Amino acid sequence: MTVLVVLLLAAGLFFHAVAALGVLRLPDFYTRLHAVSKAETLGMLFTLAAIIVWIGPSLTAVKVALVGVFVFMATPTSAHAIGRAALRTGLKPWRRRGGSP
Amino acid sequence: MSELVLAGLLVLLGALALVAVSAADLLIAAIALGAYGFALALVWAALGAPDVSFTEAVVGAGATTVFFLAALLRTSRRRSNVPNPQRLVALGAVLAVGLVLLVATRQLPLWGDVGAPPSTHVSPRYLERTLEETLTPNAVTAVVADYRSYDTLIETLVIFTGGLAGWLLLARPR
Amino acid sequence: MRIEDAFLGVTVALLGLVLVYLFRVAVGPTVFDRILGVSALGTTTTIILLLVGVLYDRIELFVDLSLAYALLSFVGALAAARYFEQTGDR
Repeated sequence: MTVLVVLLLAAGLFFHAVAALGVLRLPDFYTRLHAVSKAETLGMLFTLAAIIVWIGPSLTAVKVALVGVFVFMATPTSAHAIGRAALRTGLKPWRRRGGSP
Repeated sequence: MSELVLAGLLVLLGALALVAVSAADLLIAAIALGAYGFALALVWAALGAPDVSFTEAVVGAGATTVFFLAALLRTSRRRSNVPNPQRLVALGAVLAVGLVLLVATRQLPLWGDVGAPPSTHVSPRYLERTLEETLTPNAVTAVVADYRSYDTLIETLVIFTGGLAGWLLLARPR
Repeated sequence: MRIEDAFLGVTVALLGLVLVYLFRVAVGPTVFDRILGVSALGTTTTIILLLVGVLYDRIELFVDLSLAYALLSFVGALAAARYFEQTGDR
């Protein structure tokens, strides 16, 4: 059980780190949005799973799972909304200099 | 360890406040203020005050951002130019008040001091008597909504008046 | 190693990652990057609140805050998106 919790925490931290790395290093807004909305949702799910396993079955565990459900719905929704707003106001996606996309 | 985290967060708070104040684009200022709210919520959580942290996150980071964005939608994103003498007067006033507050902070009891007056008679009084006097299990709720109900009522009135005034000023004529 | 140390390590690491998002909020370059930073910050804060609850052994209190917070944290991003859809300038 301890091993499972540590593994889940490590997996969650890995995906969070990937999200942050993407936000830091990728070249434009759309690629950063892509990185953060997917990787962070996955990292969040792993971290919440670790917490649920650690505290065991209880009402609190159900609430932690509900947090996961809400974030799972909210993050893609807001990512989609910002991405669409950026596209409609004419923000051009990044292209490699001189080459084909 | 936790003091290091706290110090880092406080430095961040200062940086975000500077971004919010110095941005020429008011939309960027509003967004930076939202991030400031999230960082402040983390500070409260690290200090062990989850309910304050929660209020800060919901009001400071959530609702305030939405209100500012709604106001910007109906006004302008550009900052109007205040004449320089006026800005200097404002800067002087802010610095003077800040200095007074800094000096006054030294008079406050230390954080978590059990010998401080609030910890010796105010808190025990409410913690011991709240349940029998108000039949409310949460002492904070009892203080806000029961012992200080007039205060809370008039606070609500102030917020309502503010909201009404904002709506009257910003509502678009049809 | 106690398992609390693992939770503490993840919490501190996530606080480090918060710096990256705050960097995006402060630097941009476009205003959308700043909104993205704030919304990622909201998700991370939700999780950090839960982890702090585990560390302080008061998870049953912190989970309620985190739950309500998860419901409200994305309204800022939605409001900003609506602002751009209505005005069309960035």
